[in-house]
This record gives sequence, structure tokens and C-alpha cells, in this order.
Amino acid sequence: MAGFLSAHGYDPGPTQRPLLAGALTGLIASVPAIALLWAFNSLQVEARILDLSVAETLAVGWPIMAVAGALYSRLFGRAANDRSGGWLSGMAFGFILWAGGAVLVLPAASGGMALAGPAALGVFLSLVLWGAALGILLPIVHRPLKLSIESESRHARSGPLAGLRKSAASARNS
Amino acid sequence: MSLRKAAVAGVAGALAWDAILRTAIALGVPTFDIVRALGTLAFPHGPTLAWWAAGTAAHALVGVCWAVFYAYFFWARLDLRPPLQGLVFSALPAVLALLVMSPQFRLMHLSTDSVRLTWDLMLPPLSPAEIGGLVLGHAIFGLVVGAIYTRPVGSRADRPPIRAFCTRSGTTGGKRRPPDGAFIFATGIECSYPTIDGGTWRRDEMEATGHYQRWQGDFELAREIGATHLRFGPPLHLLLRGPRVYDWQLIDEVMAELEAHGPEPIIDLCHFGVPTWLGDFQNPEIADALGEYAGAFAQRYRWVRFYTPVNEMYVCARMSALDGTWNEQRRDEGAFVAAVFNLASASVKMTDAILEARPDAIFVNSESSEFYQACCPDPAIEGRARFENERRFLPLDLIYGHEVSEEMAQYLRDHGFEDRYRQFLARDVPQRSVLGVDYYEWNERLVDPAGRSLALGELFGWYVIASHYWQRYRRPMMHTETNRVDASDAQRWLWRQWHNVQLLRNSGVPLVGFTWYSLTDQVDWARGLSRAIGNVDPVGLFDLNRDARAVGLSYKHLIDMHRDQPEYRLCPALAGLLR
Repeated sequence: MAGFLSAHGYDPGPTQRPLLAGALTGLIASVPAIALLWAFNSLQVEARILDLSVAETLAVGWPIMAVAGALYSRLFGRAANDRSGGWLSGMAFGFILWAGGAVLVLPAASGGMALAGPAALGVFLSLVLWGAALGILLPIVHRPLKLSIESESRHARSGPLAGLRKSAASARNS
Repeated sequence: MSLRKAAVAGVAGALAWDAILRTAIALGVPTFDIVRALGTLAFPHGPTLAWWAAGTAAHALVGVCWAVFYAYFFWARLDLRPPLQGLVFSALPAVLALLVMSPQFRLMHLSTDSVRLTWDLMLPPLSPAEIGGLVLGHAIFGLVVGAIYTRPVGSRADRPPIRAFCTRSGTTGGKRRPPDGAFIFATGIECSYPTIDGGTWRRDEMEATGHYQRWQGDFELAREIGATHLRFGPPLHLLLRGPRVYDWQLIDEVMAELEAHGPEPIIDLCHFGVPTWLGDFQNPEIADALGEYAGAFAQRYRWVRFYTPVNEMYVCARMSALDGTWNEQRRDEGAFVAAVFNLASASVKMTDAILEARPDAIFVNSESSEFYQACCPDPAIEGRARFENERRFLPLDLIYGHEVSEEMAQYLRDHGFEDRYRQFLARDVPQRSVLGVDYYEWNERLVDPAGRSLALGELFGWYVIASHYWQRYRRPMMHTETNRVDASDAQRWLWRQWHNVQLLRNSGVPLVGFTWYSLTDQVDWARGLSRAIGNVDPVGLFDLNRDARAVGLSYKHLIDMHRDQPEYRLCPALAGLLR
């Protein structure tokens, strides 16, 4: 994984706006995920064990998915913008959120209660679907948000001093 | 990454697991039935066929996801045979299955919609047979995926060529051309197509980097950063189908786009490979075949002015016939000399054929700049370095009709090439020839006490090494390739190379252009395309998503800063060639 991501670069490209794009995409990707939660009755069960209304559960959950989307976009950097493989990175991230979040955090927040039966299946499927949608949509949502090459190339950090800074840092380190 | 190959591997792995699982269950061996666990989520009380079909489909889908994950992140990270790589990888889904999926399956199969968690529910005890079944199943899956997912880039050399360039879509902006005679700020589309694995496997960098699908956008990116010229190599192995059989339709649209909108191409006609029917660089017939090809190309695309007949002849001959990496994969001096002469003959015949169609064509003879430094005052080591410092010039000596040293002449006599060498000396070299000098961080080498040459990094730099070539040939020059594998250092490298160019130019050398190579990242380039791994090397102005790298912005900054300066707006050396 390190090899692949290091080739793409952990750091987002200089024209990218990963946090904004990730947050927006996280919100958008929640729409099909919520539909799936609803279909499996998972949303209603979650609300019940958290002692909230469905609307309150959504109000809490949606911003969390925006933050999760921003986190994904920042962590995966350039790889998150891979149009052919983004779905997989997103699904993997959705799976991790499920394994680390839904499976552990929900019981912790609800005094040890967990979803079971089809409701549990619905949570799993919805997070994998959310991840896949996030991975597929992020490059599309990101495209119009990117900074222009024209404006960014004018910045001093692209100029001759870019090399000087690196040389100075190398000299200091040595 | 080959998505299709990974999908096939994932399905095959899941089916192989299921086949062995069904056999074990039929024999009465107790085990964990993952297909049943998945299928009964959809059909808890349905007939066997229903849950089996649903479970098999779900298992195959999960298998595809894991195989794609393997292909992206794990493949070729370990120096093991492919099935063993898959086997090691299978530990990851196996652990997840044991610790996360299996307990969750149990929760999902409960008839209630919520439960209070207990340790028994969170980590339910599994019998040894269930644990063994899960581990064995994953091991089978990993072995099958590993065995199937190999060589994700490239294709069999004997297969009929794929349809390469996709059809042009949409429209492109207006023509953007610098004034004629302006300094060349170039980039390039990496286009190597050597064969490996005994000539059975074709590496095609245009395919691996997605250029065949995204060529139109790639040209637009080159224009966007302000590149005036584009080193571009139409895929010889796909265009030259047989003796005097050419598939021009493959590139007609592409060439039309370049003609109409730029950047002006420097056409690279032979880049490290030949079509399968021509064999390899030991075949003396390549000179005639490539000469005819070049002539036909120049006839069809008469507007093209800049040509590189054969790219980096020294590197091509060395990698093919001395290092045993590409094409003929030989490792002997005689084969190296034969390859050099065949490549040089091809270059000369291509040049002559192009001149018949386009008498004012300009030839950019790109060659890798090399330098060998002896490590110590040992006559044998110093002799080795001296010999290599002569040998680096051999292909250029031939095409430019330059006399070789006495030591090199003896080397040619030893391998029976003296007569052919004399023929090259008598050649009338075209006046419109530019010596292209490529430079990378490994071009300067140290000959160690064992006689091996080790990359030194930037010891003297492009200015010094290029000066060696200038002193020898006294021809207009161009920096025709550079990049940096360490993307975080690429901006520094770019500006350093540029300052080298400025210094050489200011010292009076007629220098016509500079190139960052290439436009996008490359695949397996840092390992010399020697194995079909599919690793991305971040050397481009743009990554493979076509997102700008910092060096891409710096190159645009550099071009914008200089192109309108009087000494770059009109480059006397280039203007002289164009007259």
C-alpha cells in the first residue's frame, strides 16, 4: 500500500482542495447510504438505541460523514482522485469506518447496545456503499473545486526559490 | 493495475475456495461455510439453490474487491513468486474474517434488531474446524489470486495489436503556437515499447500511462503549461504491421490534432523497440524497414518539421545487448556492437528518407549523456572508465561521421565492424541536426574496484557532461530529457537543470531547447521497464490522474518567466536551422 500511495504521493497535488472536496462528497455520498439504512430499518433502530429521533440521528450523523469524507480525501491524497480505483479506496475506507466506528463506537455510545439482524446488515452495506460512492464521486466533485494551474504557477513557491529552499533544508539536515 | 485481470483472479479465487469447501462438506468434514453464511443473509429460510446462488455471487464479489485491493496495494511488494505473494496477502482477509466478519455474521443472523453486547457475542468461540476452514479457504483464495494476477501491464508480443488511440471527442481551443524560431520549451509523452521476457511480452508506456485514452487531454495539458514542443513517439510496433504495411489510421486524428492545435511535435520514430515481425536490434534488416517507414511517415505528415529518428541509441543497444534487459536480451560485446551499428544504420536511412519528403526537416538526435569516473588510481579501473567514456560516443560518432579513438577502433576491429565504420565516416551529415543530450541523476557513474559502474548522482552536472558532447561534435544542442524520481525534489532539480542550460548557452553554445520528460508520471520507468510490475514513478509534470505536480507548476512558471524575453523569443541557433 505504501508503495502505491507513495507513487501517487501522500500529499495532495498543489491545485487540489482535499478537505472541501472530501467534506462535500461525504455529504453527497450519504444520500444513497441513508436510503439503504432506511430500507433495512437500520436508521430507526440506531435512533432507538441512541435514544434520539430519526431526524436527530441524521442531524448528528450527516456532519460526521462530512468530516469522514474530508479525512478520507486528505489521507488518500492523490489516490483519492484516481478515477478508476477511487471506488476501491473509498470502499476500504467505508469498511474501516464500519469496523472501527459502527461496530465499536455505536455500542460505546449506547451503553453496550448493538444492532443485530437485518438492521446490522444494513449498517454494514450502507457504509460500504457510502465508501464506494465517496470514492467514485470525489474526483468528479473535486474537479471544479481545483485551483487553476495558471494562478498557482505564478506563486513564488513555484519559482526559482523552490529549489533554494530544498537545498537549504538538505544542507541543514546534513 | 489491470482491473480486468484482478476481477478474473478474484472470481477464480472465490470459486476455487467454494469448490474445495463443497467437496469437504460433501465428505463430512466440519468447516465454516462462508457461502452459506453470506447466502442466508439474503434468503434465511430459502431453498438451498437460492442461498447457494446468492452466497456464491456475494462471495465472488467480495473476492473481486480483495483481489483489486491486492492488485493495487500488495502485488509485487514482496520478492516472492506470485502465488506465494497471494498466500501471504490472504492473511489479511483471514484475520478480518476471524475477528470482525465472523462475529458480525452471527449478529446479522439473529432474529432480533438489537442486542446488548457480551464478550460471547463480540468474540464468539469458533471451533478448530471452523478456524481451519476459514484459514484454508483464504489460503486457497490467495494462492489462486496470486497465480492469476501477474504482469498487470503490457501484453503478449505476438497478439494482434489492440486498437490503441481512442477516437477524438469534443473540440479543442484555438491554435497556440510560439513565433517561429523561439526557444523550445518541451515536454514529452513517454512512449517506450521494448519487449521483455525473451521477446514474449511487450511493454507499451503509452498504454500503461493511459495516454491512448487521454491523448487529447494530454495535449491540452501540455499547451496549458506553455510547452511549445512535444516529444511524441507514434507507436512503431502498432503502425508498422509488416514490410511496407502501415496503419496510419491509428494516428491520423492524433496527428491532425497536433497539427491544428500544437504543441509542435518532435516525432520520435523508434523508441527502444521494433515490431515483433522484425525481431530485435540484432536484425540488420531493421535499417531498411525503418528507413521505408520513416519515408512513408514523412510523406503522409508533410507538415512535421522535427524528427528524432532513433531515440537514445546508446541506451537502447546497452539495455538490449549488453545488460540483457530488453528485446534480444543479450549480454555480450559483439551483440552490443551489432545493435549499435544496426541502430545507427537505421537512423541514417530514416534521416535520408525523411529528407527526400521534407528537405528542410530538423533532426533532434537525442542521446543519453554519460560519464564514468574511476574510483581509484588503478590502471585497470582507469582503463575501464576511459573505455566507457569513449564507448558512450559510439552511436553518435557513427551518425555524425566522427572518428573514434584508436582504442575504440580496435574494439570495432575485434568485432568485425571496421569496414562498416569507415562507411559511416564517409557520410554527408545533414546540416539541420541538433544534438539532444538527456540527463538523469544516474548518468554519472563510478567504476568501482570490481569494475562495476555505480550511479554517482549529480557529480559534475549537465553543464560539464554536455560540454564533453559539444566539444566533440560542435552541433546545435538541446537538453532533451530530464526528471527526478523523488517528486519532492523535482522542483529543485528542474531549476538546477535550467540554470545549467542557461550557463551553457551563455558560454556561447548554440542551445535551442529544454525538456522536462515527461508530461505524466511513468510506469516501471525507475526499474528500466525490466519487469511488468505496474509501479507508478512520480516523474511527470502531472500524475496519472492528470493532477498537476509541484514541478508542473514550476515548469509553467519557468516558461512564463522566460518565453517573452528577447533572447528566448528569438533563439538565433534555432532560427538559423529553420532558415
